[in-house]
Amino acid sequence: MVAARRPAPTLEAQERRFALMLLGPALVALLLTTTAPLVYLVWNSLQRLDLGMPWLAGFAGLDNYAKMGSDPRFWNSLLLTGIYTASTVVLQVVIGLSLALLVLQIPSGQGILRVAAILPIVLAPVVVGLFWRTLVLAPDFGLVDLVTRALGLGSHNWLGDPQLALISVIAIHTWQWTPFAFLVLLATLATLPPDVFEAARLDRAGAWQRFRHITLPLIRPAVVMVVILRMMTALSAFAAIFAATGGGPGSATEILNLYAYRTSFTELNLGYGASLAVVLMSITLAVSYLMFRLRRARG
Amino acid sequence: MNGRSTLRRIALAAIAGAGLAVWAFPVIWGLLTSFKTERDVLAYPPVWLFKPTLDNYREVIFGASSIVPNLWSSFVVSTSATLLTMLIAVPAAYALARLRYPAKRASGFYVLATQMLPPVGLIIPYYLVLQKIGALDTYAGLTVIYLTFSLPFAIWLMVSYFEDVPFEMEEAALLDRAGRLRALWYVILPQVRGGMAVTTIFVFLNAWNEFMFAVVLGGNRVRPVTVAMFNFISVEQTQWAKLAAGAMLAMAPVILIGIFAQRHIVKGLTVGAVKGGGRR
Repeated sequence: MVAARRPAPTLEAQERRFALMLLGPALVALLLTTTAPLVYLVWNSLQRLDLGMPWLAGFAGLDNYAKMGSDPRFWNSLLLTGIYTASTVVLQVVIGLSLALLVLQIPSGQGILRVAAILPIVLAPVVVGLFWRTLVLAPDFGLVDLVTRALGLGSHNWLGDPQLALISVIAIHTWQWTPFAFLVLLATLATLPPDVFEAARLDRAGAWQRFRHITLPLIRPAVVMVVILRMMTALSAFAAIFAATGGGPGSATEILNLYAYRTSFTELNLGYGASLAVVLMSITLAVSYLMFRLRRARG
Repeated sequence: MNGRSTLRRIALAAIAGAGLAVWAFPVIWGLLTSFKTERDVLAYPPVWLFKPTLDNYREVIFGASSIVPNLWSSFVVSTSATLLTMLIAVPAAYALARLRYPAKRASGFYVLATQMLPPVGLIIPYYLVLQKIGALDTYAGLTVIYLTFSLPFAIWLMVSYFEDVPFEMEEAALLDRAGRLRALWYVILPQVRGGMAVTTIFVFLNAWNEFMFAVVLGGNRVRPVTVAMFNFISVEQTQWAKLAAGAMLAMAPVILIGIFAQRHIVKGLTVGAVKGGGRR
């Protein structure tokens, strides 16, 4: 051991150099494609940069941020972001977990169900939005309308009515991403040792108690991780809503993400759009930080 | 007792069947629609038995609104983005998982943090910069920008695979006086072949399905198929059969990958969810 001590520093230095060589390109790429744009975004959010009124361009300080306070469309989008994120995440986890617990007890046929569950996940959100807008939710000819008409509930303008439109985009998101929660939780449940349940069954514990006191604590890390990942996706949801409603009717489905996009690229007010994007980014980072803290505290 | 368990089994099967129907049916319905005439699409009640036609596919492949150039765009962008991502991500992931160097925790956290940036925040700077250097509507521009979401994801997924390789493997290789690079190439990489396949699949899927960057930063030359589908509906509002045929072609690669690589995908989702972000 004593003899080995002398060459150790050079070995260490060699390892350090090797690590830098392997890591270098990735760090440079990330700096260029994420960090530099982020800095530039914050800079732009402090500018008056309206391509519709280019002569007004100039440094604006915090004007863009001050403007949000009295912008009802901003507060509306913030509220919608909250509703959209909370409802889609809760629905995905509750439906996904219940289905996983049920399917776990089916001896055969799990394979085909997994294939069916993969389908929504691999589809492009923009295509999902278009599909729902036409074949599923269109008045008179969409699948949902065919069902409600057959049941005597009448035809509805699922994406044209403000309240129904919000429910519809929540349904679309839930449809596409519940399989993620389902598949991950099913795989996690399948790894649990069966003898844990045997012991509980011998103890005559009820099904709910078994779930509450044995299964849930065991799968909690996976559930929390699913919640975090689903929140990230919901907060940056864009293409499906954009394709299904474009944020409308009016601003009925305009979550913050869509508002920032529309402000920047439809109304061409890049400065204000940038400040909205900064707010969204801060919310996303704050939420993920809180969730990770929660995960560590509980874990 | 026996009767009850049979009943239970039927109930379970019914619930599983409902899940199956809800997830698969819109896709199957789209497939059926793509073979209908526009008149059959709008028939009420809907027709199940119809004379299938290939006209819609003929139209979206050879017609005026052909999506073949868009499929090519998607292919070029997705393939080059995937290759570039893997080339950069795999070595970086190995360093993060196995090597000792200063500021290791910080660099790991940095990669994780970059994964959480919402794309809408990055697209304004990208637009301004690409416009300035004349790289809007180019393959190179879009490919490099796809690194923003593919690189952090690929690095973290690969880290969790490298961590599963037994330490003895590389120690043996290093004692053998093989250089570190050779040890990585000949001994470690073959161990994570499965993980690299999973990561490649995910990166490709995400690049193929990307829409927001493509619609803003693409244009007439580089127009991936997701953007073409979106434009399709604004131009040809009511031609659902054609839309369905286009969507089926556009999504054929990812649907096939989904069905054939189903096991890999589930594994990747689970690794990503349970280990990937959670470790650090």
